[in-house]
Amino acid sequence: MSEQTLASVTSIGDLEAPPAPDAGALLQRTALGDEAAFAALYDTLSPSVFGMAKRVIRNPARAEEVTQEVFLQVWQTAPRFDPSKGSAKSWVLTLAHRRAVDAVRHDQSATNRDLAYDWSPGIDHDEVVETVTVRLEHEQVKKCLSGLTELQREAITLAYYQGYTYAEVAQALDANPATVKTRMRDGLIRLRDCLGVES
Amino acid sequence: MSNDLHGLLAPYALDALDADERATFEAHLDQCETCQAELPGLVETLSRVGEAESATPPPALRASVLAAVSTTTQQRPVVSLDSRRRLRRSLPQLVAAAAVVAAMVGGGFAVIEHDNVSDMRADQERVTAIISAADATTTSGNVSTGGTLRVISSKSHSAAVVSGSSLKELPGDKVYQLWTMHHGIPKDAGLLGTKDGMVYVPKLGDAVAVAVTVEPQGGSKEPTGEPVAVTDLAT
Ligand SMILES: [Zn+2]
Repeated sequence: MSEQTLASVTSIGDLEAPPAPDAGALLQRTALGDEAAFAALYDTLSPSVFGMAKRVIRNPARAEEVTQEVFLQVWQTAPRFDPSKGSAKSWVLTLAHRRAVDAVRHDQSATNRDLAYDWSPGIDHDEVVETVTVRLEHEQVKKCLSGLTELQREAITLAYYQGYTYAEVAQALDANPATVKTRMRDGLIRLRDCLGVES
Repeated sequence: MSNDLHGLLAPYALDALDADERATFEAHLDQCETCQAELPGLVETLSRVGEAESATPPPALRASVLAAVSTTTQQRPVVSLDSRRRLRRSLPQLVAAAAVVAAMVGGGFAVIEHDNVSDMRADQERVTAIISAADATTTSGNVSTGGTLRVISSKSHSAAVVSGSSLKELPGDKVYQLWTMHHGIPKDAGLLGTKDGMVYVPKLGDAVAVAVTVEPQGGSKEPTGEPVAVTDLAT
């Protein structure tokens, strides 16, 4: 290595950092073992993961455990992420929901779940909605859910927020399991179009 | 029968299947293009529903997650035909970020600007080969001016992929240059670019480390400044 020093090495300290890359770019760099990119990915997605897990599990300490497990899984499996199957964000949220649901099913047997729980989204959760963006998103989801038929909405919310299987939904609502499957699909498609998600 | 399985797509997206049905449906999904095409829209929709519940986790969780990650190894990429396609799709952005990739030309190193798609693809194939090699090893170090230098090297290929991330952006007349260190003697290994970038090093030879310096645009024949990063190669 040369003995000379180069002024530019110190002068570049004055430059501003480039704007934060999106979750997809961060996940690609995470896949190459980049811990700084992973930390930025955590900062971007952890509120969604933790908030969703807390909503499903309804136990903040358990939701923290699940959040940690999810991000560890993201780190380990990032090299196997397939961008053709969806966005980085939806991949992480999907892993997170799966784990949250598994935690709920593990912690509670179907029989002692509180069927009377008020599952309508947001009503007793508004206090955790923190930023304007999240609040708008929250309102939009609520509005779109209210545009579904009652059975569509109940089937989707019992499954998504409470971790019910479609068979458990059918039992809880005293409906035919085949009908529940169909209503889930119809409801999700209507929700997708209402939220402006590309099909 | 197969119509019944299509019907499990929505419950699958909602995680509303029990373990047996989930396994059954995933086997169907592998084969069913209709379900494969419809799933991403449903998954994206539900991730919007999940996101709408956002809540900031306690700061201590961040430290705990990052500490756990620093001692956890990552899975290797799956090198099936599918994943080779996947890597080919995902790597261009990384390679493009570098804008230049070092390649062996004749007897010496040359820097090739990739406006040619097939050159680009050839480099991606080589990069993929290193990253997915059975003996690929990753080492990393801090860059003194900010960011991380990461080296994925393969002994069997005697080659490496070196990436700089979260690097400070340099003014237009400067560039990060990579060197392989051969018992104290630096050899030019190509340019990382003016900020984050990646370089494919085709011949490691007896190199024991890689180093990065900041050089005038176009690079230098020998380093003209102190290194901002030195990372040992895995032995
Ligand atoms: Zn199908």
